[in-house]
Amino acid sequence: MRERFLTGYNDFVLPFSLGLIFIISYCVVGMIRILHQLPAEDRKRFFISLVTPATMWKNIKDIFLKCLIHVDIWKRNKLLGYMHSSIAFGWFMLIVVGHIEVFLYTPHRVKLFYYPIFFRYFVAETESTMRGSLIFFLMDLFLLIVLSGIALAIIKRVRSVMFGMRRTTNPSFFDLVGQYSLWAIFPLRLLAEAFTADISGGSFLTKSLNYVFTSFLSNHANMLPAWWAYSCALGIFFFVLPFTRYMHIPTEILLIPMRNAGIKIRNARKGFAKAEVYSCPSCGLCIDACPMGVMKANIKDTTVYLNRQIRRRNEARIEEISDKCLLCGKCTAICPVGVEGDKLRIAQRSIRKYNLNPDYSNIPADASGIEFAAHEVTAPSGRAREKILYFAGCMTALTPVISKAMESILKKAGADYAFMDRDGGICCGRPMFMSGRFDAARMLVEKNTEIIKASGADVLLLSCPICYKIFREKYHLDGIRIIHHTEYIAGLIADGILKPSSDDTKYVYHDPCELGRGCGVYEAPREVIKSVGTLVEAQKNRKESICCGGSLGSLTLGFDKRRAMTENALANLVTESPDIIVTACPLCRSTFNRYSDRPVEDIAETIDRKITKTVKS
Amino acid sequence: MKENILIIGGGIAGLEAAAMLLRLGHSPIIIEKSDRLGGHVASWHKLFPDMTPAKDVVDRLTAEASGANIFLNTEISFVNKLTDSYNIMLSNGISIITKVILVTMGFSLFDAAKKEEYGYGVYDHVVTNRDLEQWFNGKDDPRIDNSAMNAVGFVHCVGSRDEKAKNSQCSKVCCITAVKQAIEVKQKFPDASVYCFYMDLRMFGKKFEDFYISAQRDYGIRFIRGRVSEVSENIEGRVVVKAEDTLSGKPLKVTLDLLVLMAGMVCGDSCTKVAGMIPLPVDSDGFLKSKDNIFDVMESPKEGIFYAGACTGPKTVPETLAEARAAALDIHLYINGLE
Amino acid sequence: MDFGFKISPSSAINLDKIDLTMFEKLHEMEPDVYKCIACGSCSATCPAARYSGMSMRKVILDLQRGREKEVFSMMKNCMLCGKCTMVCPRGINTRHLILSISKLYCETK
Repeated sequence: MRERFLTGYNDFVLPFSLGLIFIISYCVVGMIRILHQLPAEDRKRFFISLVTPATMWKNIKDIFLKCLIHVDIWKRNKLLGYMHSSIAFGWFMLIVVGHIEVFLYTPHRVKLFYYPIFFRYFVAETESTMRGSLIFFLMDLFLLIVLSGIALAIIKRVRSVMFGMRRTTNPSFFDLVGQYSLWAIFPLRLLAEAFTADISGGSFLTKSLNYVFTSFLSNHANMLPAWWAYSCALGIFFFVLPFTRYMHIPTEILLIPMRNAGIKIRNARKGFAKAEVYSCPSCGLCIDACPMGVMKANIKDTTVYLNRQIRRRNEARIEEISDKCLLCGKCTAICPVGVEGDKLRIAQRSIRKYNLNPDYSNIPADASGIEFAAHEVTAPSGRAREKILYFAGCMTALTPVISKAMESILKKAGADYAFMDRDGGICCGRPMFMSGRFDAARMLVEKNTEIIKASGADVLLLSCPICYKIFREKYHLDGIRIIHHTEYIAGLIADGILKPSSDDTKYVYHDPCELGRGCGVYEAPREVIKSVGTLVEAQKNRKESICCGGSLGSLTLGFDKRRAMTENALANLVTESPDIIVTACPLCRSTFNRYSDRPVEDIAETIDRKITKTVKS
Repeated sequence: MKENILIIGGGIAGLEAAAMLLRLGHSPIIIEKSDRLGGHVASWHKLFPDMTPAKDVVDRLTAEASGANIFLNTEISFVNKLTDSYNIMLSNGISIITKVILVTMGFSLFDAAKKEEYGYGVYDHVVTNRDLEQWFNGKDDPRIDNSAMNAVGFVHCVGSRDEKAKNSQCSKVCCITAVKQAIEVKQKFPDASVYCFYMDLRMFGKKFEDFYISAQRDYGIRFIRGRVSEVSENIEGRVVVKAEDTLSGKPLKVTLDLLVLMAGMVCGDSCTKVAGMIPLPVDSDGFLKSKDNIFDVMESPKEGIFYAGACTGPKTVPETLAEARAAALDIHLYINGLE
Repeated sequence: MDFGFKISPSSAINLDKIDLTMFEKLHEMEPDVYKCIACGSCSATCPAARYSGMSMRKVILDLQRGREKEVFSMMKNCMLCGKCTMVCPRGINTRHLILSISKLYCETK
């Protein structure tokens, strides 16, 4: 291998070099800004995590698996996964092997950063070695892999259904420029290398193409324009990158270590939120996932468009999109880069200015009405006698069938319980939190905390997943165990305290958003249902369960706008033709019950119905 | 040749129309899905505003319609449209070819269990207007204490005027029914406090206002303007009702021995099913759509198909009977026009 | 009969003198506000009612009658729990209505 030019330079490297310098400086400045915007403690935590071996290793692993291999997309759809990893990993390997080439053959050129990219223009093959042909083979192979990915990407633009996507994002103008330049890079590289292959050498792809070209083209005249075009495509891509969705490539490399350091959204637009917004690849997976998507009018209110509008600072649209969302969290659950659509929206809501603000100082934190041991208590031997405080929640007050069933179960289990809000209580604060009014939510949390602590309870039992989520995340109850009734019932059955009878009724379980995605409770309700009948699954279940449409998360969606969502969620539940729909949320129950063609019940009702004899030991 | 006239539904509208058609010289066929005639009225006790026994009304109508060809326990299996008539296949295997159909399939009572906050089917002392009426008729109900009653409440507009219950229409007769039932409860338990929770009282019919005045003046029934939004049960199993007394602007709570839900009218289940077979259009209120809501209330947009009674919307008994007679006359003229 | 107020110059509502520009603005943001039939379901179910006398029905009515002061004190204890929205027979999004009022109206004025 020898060099063709003493200078090791040609003007055509300029577009690429300028583009690369621009994008690297842009990213460095952007990264410093994002880190600077973090609260001091978060920043400190971030830097410490970078040098902690465990997180360091996790960062490297995550960046490799997520940014290059795209494992999450593979899990969703093989073809979509291949498309992403072929482009990302293939391109990455082209860069790596390109550098190896330079190291091996022209080590004195290592400091020229464009050299590995345009290596074949600058060298001529003198002898054919085993090592050389292996490297050339690898370069051609990875180029072929990338090209196959590009071909798939073009097909995807036309027929996204093949990739498991019903709907995709509408690209913006800059997205299109970026996309076309990205698509052009690799075919142009192939062309340039093919024209050069009889001088520089090549492998199965470039060499063969070179033979084809020589048969009808005087190829050396085409060489330089091809390299120019290749460099220009790269240059354009780098220059438009900050204004396109492809900004997600560099940002995700920053987002992953920030997330691994345990950093959360603290500001609606700055720091971590900004990193998330810019990490959005605009892939549009959230569009199909969004339960509001059943109505076409709502498609532009999905997370991908929220991110786009935040980048454009379109305040009116940001407000509209954030307030409409049901906060079901499904977009967050399926997002391949981990953009938290629900939390981002709550953050946007939190910067609204209100003239009238709540004040709960006049509400007494009164626990005097809470009385334990009002019923016969038969704590089974070998089991600690616990004082269970049952908090039904606001929504359960409107579906009394649930609290009545729960009381019946508690009595059948011989538990020592008190019904905290039989006569009405103070809201848990979650709805207030979801509307972004954190200070008011905190006041409610404090009030309830005071009451619960004063009651002397050992366990706080909840029926409403909306309450459950905030109790788990924001309440500090000093050792009082917080438990949802699905888990409580599962425990009673597992311990043999309740022995429900079983028959061949077919049940389907609907995962409520706040219980499933919100708190990760998927198994307990399923175990419970299996003990009384046959459990069938909905088409989309667990973390992909579809919101019932009744969520308190949405501030603006009116009652009449939710019907289509509920009907869609119901259709998803009944694909296995169950006899009864079971859920574990009062809001889901009443929402479904309105439109369902078959019985809808809470898991507490199901179990209470199936326990005829009480077990006392 | 005599034209077949098929009357679908053997409630009061169907019976009255049949009686009228018989007198006009036709021979109508009535099909009824249940095992008895008279529809909802047959399970009622007394009718407002004169406390006429419902049984007398049904007996008289049944006697007058006895000349008709009546099939009980019969439903429509399917409907075939022929060139100028319909071939109706019945569940008993008989098929009827007819050019004239009178739809008198009436209403269904709103399923009160769908209003979960009222706890129907959950609490021990919550019943519907129909349950109470059947209890008046002598049928025992474990939810209703025969011996003593201190306080009874009536909730108006359960499943009517309620978008959440998918029925934003007024069911029209529940207000006066509540007044009637409240009076009857008071007659049985003179010492009980009886409350009616209403949003608006709609006393539109003949003597309704007098009836209302009598309930207030003679029976001391207390009318509270406020819709009940939460019902709970205390430790003794009595029903605790929460409403706002909107006139005093204060939240209100009362403990009751019995809560009666005035379930509203929705278009009959079988009515909707048959309407789908023919097919007949359904109006935005969920009831069958008439050709015109002023001149042709009893005519469907389909040639030869007529309506009478509550299948086009909530109606009182006299209104239904008047419609049935009008529909019979319409049919008579229509058949004469065919010949 | 007790109407809940006395007919005296100080407490009588004079519709000619009430400035409804604010309410019209609110109506623009929340067209459903005129759908209220004052049934009182929202007030009966409200957990804040027993502390601050919160009543969505009264809020809507008072704003139309120019009695804004009462509204502000009632709304102080609202917990945004959404029960009023759940029970409203007219399907009014009362929860968002509260947020809009909080945004639009100002206590000092």
